[in-house]
Amino acid sequence: MDIQIPEIGKSFARPDAAAKVTGAEKYAVDYYGDHLLWAGVRRAEVAHGRIRNLDTSAAARLPGVMAVLTGRDVPGANRQGIVHKDQPVLATDKVRYSGDAVALVLAENRETLKQAIDLIEVDIETLPGVFTVDEALKPDAPVLHEEHPGGNVLLKAEIKAGKGESALKDCHILIEETFDVPMQAHAFLETENGIAWQEADGRVVLIASTQAPFRDKWEISHALGLGMDRMRVISPYLGGAFGGKDGATVQCFLVLAALHAGGRPVKMWWNREENFAAGYKRHAAHMRYRLGANSDGTLQALHCRLYYNTGAYAHLGGEVMALGMEHAGGPYRIPHTLIEGWCVYTNNPIAGAMRGFGVAQVSFAIEQMMDLLAAKLNINPLALRKKNALRRGDQNTSGVTMTQSTGIGDCLAALAENPLWLKRNDWKQAAGPFKKRGVGVSAVFNAMGYGRGLPDSAIAKIELTEGGRIRVYNGVTDMGQGNATAFVQIAGQILCQENTRIELVQPDTDRTLPSGSSSAGRTTYTYGNALIKASESLRRKIIGRAALMLLADTLDHLELLPGRVRDLQSGREIPLEMIGSMMAAEDRICISQFLMPVVRDKLDTGKGFIIGFPHLIFSYAAHLACIEVDELTGAVEVKNYAAATEAGRVLNPQTFTQQVQGAIAQGIGYALYEEIKMEQGRLLTPDFTTYHIPGAMDVPEISSQIVETWEPSGPYGMKGVGEVGSNGPLPAIANALADACGIRLTCSPLKQERVLEALSQSRREGGS
Amino acid sequence: MRQVRLPQTLADLWSLLNKDPTALIFSGGTDLFVKMRADKVAASTMIGLERLAALRDIREDNGDIRIGACATHENILRHPLIAAHLPVLVQALRTLGSPPIRTMGTIGGNICTASPAGDTLPPLYVLRAEVEIASSKGSRSVPIPDFIAGPGQIRLAAGEIVTGVRVKKPAEFNLHHFEKVGQRKSMSCAVAGMAALLRVTPSGAIEACRLAWGSVGPTVMTDAGIENFLTGKILSPDTLSAAARQVTRMVMPIDDVRATADYRRTVSGNLLLRLSGMENPTIELKRQSPSEGM
Amino acid sequence: MNIRFTLNGKAMDLDAAADRRVVDLLREDLGLTGAKEGCGAGECGTCSILVDGEHRLSCLMIAAQLSGRDVVTIEGLSEKDRLHPLQESFIRHGAVQCGFCTPGMIIGAAALLKRNPQPSREEIREGLAGNLCRCTGYQKIVDAVEAALLPEEKL
Ligand SMILES: Cc1cc2nc3c(=O)[nH]c(=O)nc-3n(C[C@H](O)[C@H](O)[C@H](O)COP(=O)(O)OP(=O)(O)OC[C@H]3O[C@@H](n4cnc5c(N)ncnc54)[C@H](O)[C@@H]3O)c2cc1C
Ligand code: FES
Ligand code: FES
Repeated sequence: MDIQIPEIGKSFARPDAAAKVTGAEKYAVDYYGDHLLWAGVRRAEVAHGRIRNLDTSAAARLPGVMAVLTGRDVPGANRQGIVHKDQPVLATDKVRYSGDAVALVLAENRETLKQAIDLIEVDIETLPGVFTVDEALKPDAPVLHEEHPGGNVLLKAEIKAGKGESALKDCHILIEETFDVPMQAHAFLETENGIAWQEADGRVVLIASTQAPFRDKWEISHALGLGMDRMRVISPYLGGAFGGKDGATVQCFLVLAALHAGGRPVKMWWNREENFAAGYKRHAAHMRYRLGANSDGTLQALHCRLYYNTGAYAHLGGEVMALGMEHAGGPYRIPHTLIEGWCVYTNNPIAGAMRGFGVAQVSFAIEQMMDLLAAKLNINPLALRKKNALRRGDQNTSGVTMTQSTGIGDCLAALAENPLWLKRNDWKQAAGPFKKRGVGVSAVFNAMGYGRGLPDSAIAKIELTEGGRIRVYNGVTDMGQGNATAFVQIAGQILCQENTRIELVQPDTDRTLPSGSSSAGRTTYTYGNALIKASESLRRKIIGRAALMLLADTLDHLELLPGRVRDLQSGREIPLEMIGSMMAAEDRICISQFLMPVVRDKLDTGKGFIIGFPHLIFSYAAHLACIEVDELTGAVEVKNYAAATEAGRVLNPQTFTQQVQGAIAQGIGYALYEEIKMEQGRLLTPDFTTYHIPGAMDVPEISSQIVETWEPSGPYGMKGVGEVGSNGPLPAIANALADACGIRLTCSPLKQERVLEALSQSRREGGS
Repeated sequence: MRQVRLPQTLADLWSLLNKDPTALIFSGGTDLFVKMRADKVAASTMIGLERLAALRDIREDNGDIRIGACATHENILRHPLIAAHLPVLVQALRTLGSPPIRTMGTIGGNICTASPAGDTLPPLYVLRAEVEIASSKGSRSVPIPDFIAGPGQIRLAAGEIVTGVRVKKPAEFNLHHFEKVGQRKSMSCAVAGMAALLRVTPSGAIEACRLAWGSVGPTVMTDAGIENFLTGKILSPDTLSAAARQVTRMVMPIDDVRATADYRRTVSGNLLLRLSGMENPTIELKRQSPSEGM
Repeated sequence: MNIRFTLNGKAMDLDAAADRRVVDLLREDLGLTGAKEGCGAGECGTCSILVDGEHRLSCLMIAAQLSGRDVVTIEGLSEKDRLHPLQESFIRHGAVQCGFCTPGMIIGAAALLKRNPQPSREEIREGLAGNLCRCTGYQKIVDAVEAALLPEEKL
């Protein structure tokens, strides 16, 4: 590793990279332990039904089986869920999707575990299921959660600003269209897993691949009736997560198992098939849009009806939909809006958080609406977007005044100068035989933080160790986004110390402090802000204590330098090692909390929201896709891609670009072929053989342009950049497809079969 | 636990097979181990062919090209003999799986898996490959269409293995073409695929042609009627379109999670149209220089 | 079954079930957790290892197949304190995010550079097509491989 004093604004290699390239980094999945037991669950494999009988006796008798547990063995509420506690750890009466767990097995090895799981006999009376939003909303539809007052509607909410939909009738131009997007899988490479054991004093330690170790504690405690002080949750670096490890996966199972393992470690590791069957997904959505504008292209009114298919349990479904609703009108000024949302239970896998949380869906809709409008008015789609782009001080489509940095206009301006845009016509002309080329754009944004009603807080802790090193106690998981890197940069810059002197402790509920989940583009922002304050206090403290040792009667001439404090006047120095060893343990630590600001407008635009509406701070991006369509197969190939991204000031250009490029690659998969296919609640795409994510040959070179602004509330002016890039590719590619061959697909993914069908249909209709 | 044997000589192999004719044979394991993981096959003994040098070589034999059953896709892809004479096979192999799958998987395994989507199969059909089969009792060889009986079904007796494939150098053809339609550019099971061998005159007349489609029927689909229809005609979009219509009637695709039968049908025909961009076949052959490949 | 082979330069002589998956043998029995298991079915490349210098997938190999082979895992790619040039380059070029694909990716890249010491960007993408990465979008991985010119003795 290069030795350097980290600087904000300069590329800085991850502190974790060296251990990751040598295979030394220990992810949760790399922990085994002596006398290891393996845990696994029997899943319902029925989409909707009532458990008549559960016979675990044969499994329990199998040699090598330590225990077989059912819902009756769960000591607590046997319910988990972040906002609504509606999901059993182990189902006892009803099953609501095929991945519902009904029994937990602990065995000496994986072979025995598999045999035992197969030996469990579950007798389930099948109930009729609902799989689509339409089916679930029928008046006589079978109900998943009888106790839920809204029936199959988990949440119905509404945003109404200005005159609402009534303003549509005064618009010169009205565009109407309906859009559909499928479920998407996170497909992180480290599948859900963890290991847990009970200590001699009865406390349970859980090491898990999780985005929210502190919330997990709370959830486990509720579900299993175990005191919060009776457990410790540790979250090492994750092998990817993207929202899919925000919430209960293996946690309750493992802690329950540990309570029956006699102190032995228990490991649970979902295989890829189990990840598909029982892991969270991005919501499928059905979206009806009506957009009105003046004849000069000024947007006037928007009415949307959004239906999010949330699967069997609430998880974060309502909040995902809420965020989608907030973004349904795009990063534009639309004075009159009515945005209605229904988040609907179905007998499908649970949909939850995924990068671009509810926003990736609506971006597909609004950004095609913009192109439809541009086509109707015969104006350039980029110009139409620029004309309507939000500026600081405007109100967004939820009626929130944009008091913070608002850079969408600059992003669009940057894109307009990109050679890919300027030379698009020449490029399109050069298509080979049976190929059509097109260029499409999209303008997207993504809110940061939890929004109103849920304090977005982090508590940073930093220590000068006894040995004179700096230790940052990171409380928010690093799932690969690189927040830990930013923390080293922040501490290093403020304390003027070399990276090799800075240590990181990853989230551990015994050692680090509650700092919220690793999600919502908030990790670096919220924890970073807290860490700035803590680091500054530590700096003052180190200088103050050094003064005692240097016999300095004023702090004015003392400077904290790499490894030492120097009295600039006398030239005398004292090493940090000495200062550290002199200070008492409690004196060596500084702690500071930060709370994200929220919307101050007194708003009455939102109805029905539980938490998380509205948001104040957004990141922005404008994307451009150059695609080539094969007329013989319908295959779409993304040949070039450009993104201009505004997320305040950039702390680390390298990690910033990583986030942009990675999000775009995921977005390209979402655009072209990623789709969880189901048939009556049964997965048709249960593995990587049938569910494809992009490989190295499928992603083009991506040019990522940074559009810097200054976010006054952010640490060094930054905002979260993790999510916004996910929202652009699908609409940009859909718009490019329309540009290439005049077909507009309103149902994604834009897979070759759909494209070919649309091409032949347009030919039949005499189109181009 | 299963027994695993890795014989070093054919004599050892025959004696192992005589002892346990039901033993599971594997070569690269890229098909078999995936199936075993999904509990789709079971056996108490497994015999790996990877150490049988005799099954790995690729050579000229009496003017024919013989590829050992255990030659890996990567070995074949980079063999000068194959590059020089069998570009259609090279093109197909480049689309097969991914580098590690090609390093592990073998042509014998691909043939014996007999998947309708097996990527080496359409080229082997147009090359009129003969499958060499041997057992302790002797050897025989059969044309590949007679060896593959259906999806996942091969005509191999207990105690027999495939030792290799043999093809005649297709000297009479000057245009080799293979195209696979998958969902993404690598690691994609074919939704449809087509192999073509043509002899085209400088003026564009088709003097000879052989065509085969994968993934659009229970096994590779061929049709002498279509080949005859094209022979003697000019390689033009019109001719190809007319033939493509016949193709869509000839193929017997099914719906599955990857694509509908309708799509497969349309694309099978469309793949033929691609040839219309290729009137200058010598370039096509030159493009496949032996030094190429990864 | 008794299996003898070379692992990261060291002679190994161990007893293992002949049909034990190599990925389990490495991770569970030998504590070499650098190779990961992302799918168990040949689709992701996270379990990549070098066997006699070739890129193989340890989830689709069984212990018996190791006998007599020279096996290198990510742990054996660097020499004591000196990282392999690819490892250096991955760090420098930001090719590592969550890092779960990284060991397999570097093994795949090492095998590629052995076959083709001067690959074009397109050839690098083809060469790494068996290694999925969900975080990076591959571009920085391609940058890293492109920049990692191997010193002669490594070829
Ligand atoms: C991720 C992945 C991607 C893939 N992609 C493709 C692809 O794109 N295209 C494609 O065509 N295939 C693909 N495959 C399938 C597979 O890799 C190929 O079919 C390969 O050629 C099989 O060869 P093998 O040596 O590994 O077969 P094995 O798994 O060793 O054997 C396969 C079958 O053939 C039998 N067998 C093998 N050799 C002999 C022999 N000499 N005599 C008698 N029986 C024998 C075995 O008993 C077994 O039933 C893919 C597989 C994976 C895991
Ligand atoms: S785990 Fe071996 S390829 Fe995925
Ligand atoms: S860095 Fe996360 S999968 Fe590649």
